[in-house]
Amino acid sequence: MTAAQQAREALAERQVRVPVEFLSGLPLQELVARVAEEPPGSILIFLTQFRDRDGHPYEAFEVLRGVIKASRTPVYGAAEPFIGLGIVAGSVSSYEAKGRLIGKQVRRALAGTVPDPSDVVLEAPNRCVADARALRRWSLDERLLPHDCEKRFAEVPIWRKYWRQIALMMIVIAGQAALILALLYQRKRRRDAERAAQERRAELAHAGRLTVAGELTGAIAHEINQPLGAILSNADAGDLLLDSDGDQRDKLRAILADIRRDDLRASEVIRHLRALLGRHIVEPTEFDLNDVVDDLRSILGAEARRRGVALDMQPAQEALPILGDRIQIQQVLINLVLNAMDAVGEVPEARRTVTVSLAKGDSGAVLAVRDRGPGIPPAHQARIFDAFFSTKSNGMGLGLSITRTIVEAHAGRIRVQSDPDEGTLFQAEFPLALANGASAPHPA
Amino acid sequence: MSTTPLIHVVDDDPSMRAALLRLLDAAGFDARGYSSTGEFLLQTLPERPGCLLLDLRLPGPSGLELQAALQQRDVRLPIVFLSGHANVAASVRAMKAGAVDFLTKPVKRDILLDAIGRALERDAMQRTARQKADLLRARFESLTERQRQVFERIVAGRLNKQIADDLGVAERTVKREREQVMVKLEASSAAELGRLAELLLHPAAN
Repeated sequence: MTAAQQAREALAERQVRVPVEFLSGLPLQELVARVAEEPPGSILIFLTQFRDRDGHPYEAFEVLRGVIKASRTPVYGAAEPFIGLGIVAGSVSSYEAKGRLIGKQVRRALAGTVPDPSDVVLEAPNRCVADARALRRWSLDERLLPHDCEKRFAEVPIWRKYWRQIALMMIVIAGQAALILALLYQRKRRRDAERAAQERRAELAHAGRLTVAGELTGAIAHEINQPLGAILSNADAGDLLLDSDGDQRDKLRAILADIRRDDLRASEVIRHLRALLGRHIVEPTEFDLNDVVDDLRSILGAEARRRGVALDMQPAQEALPILGDRIQIQQVLINLVLNAMDAVGEVPEARRTVTVSLAKGDSGAVLAVRDRGPGIPPAHQARIFDAFFSTKSNGMGLGLSITRTIVEAHAGRIRVQSDPDEGTLFQAEFPLALANGASAPHPA
Repeated sequence: MSTTPLIHVVDDDPSMRAALLRLLDAAGFDARGYSSTGEFLLQTLPERPGCLLLDLRLPGPSGLELQAALQQRDVRLPIVFLSGHANVAASVRAMKAGAVDFLTKPVKRDILLDAIGRALERDAMQRTARQKADLLRARFESLTERQRQVFERIVAGRLNKQIADDLGVAERTVKREREQVMVKLEASSAAELGRLAELLLHPAAN
């Protein structure tokens, strides 16, 4: 008995009053065309088809796919394997349940219980199975299904299906976010602390420079008064020339040229001092260490003369580009030179010399300040860079401490070598700045 | 021997030195510049009236050291000091050692020229005094041994008779020598002879 015959019988038995049409034995192309003609509102029930009237064999799935693709109306099915291919729903017998049923009866038979043929049941009871995706496709209300109908392919929301994994993931992500925030906060705090430390360092360095300026007052006054004095005398001379007879224009022109030159010289001194003493934003720039020596040549020279010390300042032959704060490096030089001048304050005149020299060392630019003073006692050598350590009656003990702080803030090192016969040698070494491209020459 | 004064300017700062020389020149003085104490000492000082305008702070020996060195050599050129800034200790030292003035740069023309004027005045006075002393010494040296002995005793306040006894000669001889001394030293009284004796012993005190 074919599925169609069974269906006819079942329909007759249940006295179904709707018109029923059987599409049997049609070749696939014709069948698909017929299905496409079915108006919306009709019900298509796919039983199966293995062969057409010409004996051409088909696979049931192939036929079903063609029908579902062409249909303008929901297709229902009668076999479990068809559920999922586009069938909306069906009263189907589970193949799995059927297998279990038969297996159970076979096991019983093998155990020796000969079954009564009338008791042998080969069909599992039919169940309602629906395809949630197909229901949605045809806008059929799920709630109208029998309550015991199994719904397959329902889209369980992902969060309900994998809630453990999702929860775990959320916890992990939240944990990571918290960690990141904590790290960012820590980084900000560290940055703030670094900035605060840098500001304090700059403040201290600035205070140190003001102290140094106090010590250099005489030299500064000299450096400014010298050009001012020359300007005044030139102006006075010009005044007198105007009262004298004859053409004095050439002389007056020379006087004006000198006044102009001296004026610029005085303002240059003041510009240097302002840079040295004013507050400034500590900003690393690249410059030549030799320029620092040139910056301070006149003021330190004046101070040396005031103290009766022979000061020799020798720049290096080559450029010594370093990266840092030029003002603070000037401060290092001033501190070391004043320190050296203090050291030779009491020694015989022949030894009252201070030598500043620059050179390229093994790992950077070396600023060396040598004096021929009495040297530092070994017991003091380890402590001279400590804050508030001083052997001078008027010393605060901050000069060398600030000096070391500045040198180390520039990734440099400072060391001291001392000998009662030779004097003391301070060497500050700064890493050389890598030129932007090896070929780019550094401005000398 | 030129009689116009020559002013020596010692300052290591070239533009300051040039300006000072120019000002002195415009004010009608002869002036000469030096960059260090050494340069000044190396020249032979011309026999001219003048003074020294000296920077306090110089490379090598300072202005104060030059002042001391000149005193040792008995060079009596009056000194006006110039200093880059007010320095009490140095100014006291300089003035005690006989400086005419101690000026601070920048210096006003009137003050500078006034100090220069006083220095030249002092130089002129010193020169006059020295000339007088030289003249006096020359006259004194023209006295004979006997006349000198008589002079010393007159100045010491002894009477002719006592001098005659001291020297073992007649009073008449003492009288004659005494007249000769008065003529040679161009003195008119015993009191004036005393003053001249004072000058001979301490020529610089006047």
